[in-house]
Amino acid sequence: MQRQGFSRTAVILHWLLAVSIFFLFISSWWMMGLPLPSPELQFRAFPFQLHKNIGITLVIIILMLLYVRLRHRPTPPDSTDMAPWMHWSAIAAHVAIYGLVLAVCLTGYLSSAHTRWDTVFWWSIEFPRIAAPDEEMNEFWGELHMWTAWALLGIIAVHVSGAIYHAFRNDGIVRRMMRW
Amino acid sequence: MSNENNKTSLPHWASILGVVAIMLGVFLTAVHANEAMKQAVVTSNMPADGVMPAADCPEEELEEEGITIAECEYLIEHVKGVALAAPDWFPNVQMTLAGVGAVLAFISVIIGGALVNYTPWASKAAVVVFSGLAAVDLLQFAAVVNTGPTLREVYLGGILLWFILHLMLVVGTLAGRHSEANA
Repeated sequence: MQRQGFSRTAVILHWLLAVSIFFLFISSWWMMGLPLPSPELQFRAFPFQLHKNIGITLVIIILMLLYVRLRHRPTPPDSTDMAPWMHWSAIAAHVAIYGLVLAVCLTGYLSSAHTRWDTVFWWSIEFPRIAAPDEEMNEFWGELHMWTAWALLGIIAVHVSGAIYHAFRNDGIVRRMMRW
Repeated sequence: MSNENNKTSLPHWASILGVVAIMLGVFLTAVHANEAMKQAVVTSNMPADGVMPAADCPEEELEEEGITIAECEYLIEHVKGVALAAPDWFPNVQMTLAGVGAVLAFISVIIGGALVNYTPWASKAAVVVFSGLAAVDLLQFAAVVNTGPTLREVYLGGILLWFILHLMLVVGTLAGRHSEANA
């Protein structure tokens, strides 16, 4: 028999993802206000490396979440009064969130790969250089990183609104992602 | 087949309060974690004599960041101003409170889920954790009030807003518990 809500692993990964995404947004707004790097001014070094570490980790988490969700599919919600457009919007928003998280991480990595800064994953695994420093490419991927991030924030707002809507109706939908 | 997803017998107030607590908890965990990082990064990178080197603002970096030379120079002045406005005790106090706040905020996400499912311990734990978060806000407020105008301008408005939100969560949970007790 299929279970009623998402598996515990999926629930933990989902909330880990949520906290990490919000941390990345909030910390990135702050770290972009730090002085530009120079040999004497290294304010940006730690926050930028942490940003990359969490971003790369997010890719791993979201791929794990995708695997868990596809492998252990819960029964569809028994909500007969949910309008079809609402059901399809929810599916579209989920697909968009998965796609955009991956896109934001990929564009961020590609932008960083074209700078003179190396990527040392959690300060222990050195990523091989995939490109020479190139200001134009860095700027191109950086712009894409920024716009996909704004789009992600927008779609998260839709996702959160949906969750709050169902919580206010107390129809049991949000309970599926809160099984602990 | 009974569907546990549609347990409409679970109290409405707990469902609403739980989801609001989760949303705020996710956001606040990130805010507090960022605050702890902020203090650590600024403190550890400030020159010992407090004299900042001249700004390094190459043309291509300015273009990439979308800022002017004046703004590039201001970034240094800004971080210097915030660091110099902080009394010696402030970074450690703020880091400790932010660390405790991040842990409590993350626990409030779990508590929020328990409220939505209305587990037996949920409402009691919610009062404790939401009160703890309100206490962290109060302590941060007290710490910032004892600094100067620069840090008050940066922090006080946000801290006050969080305190009001946490107070609402505490009072909302207490009201829900009283309604359940009287039902």
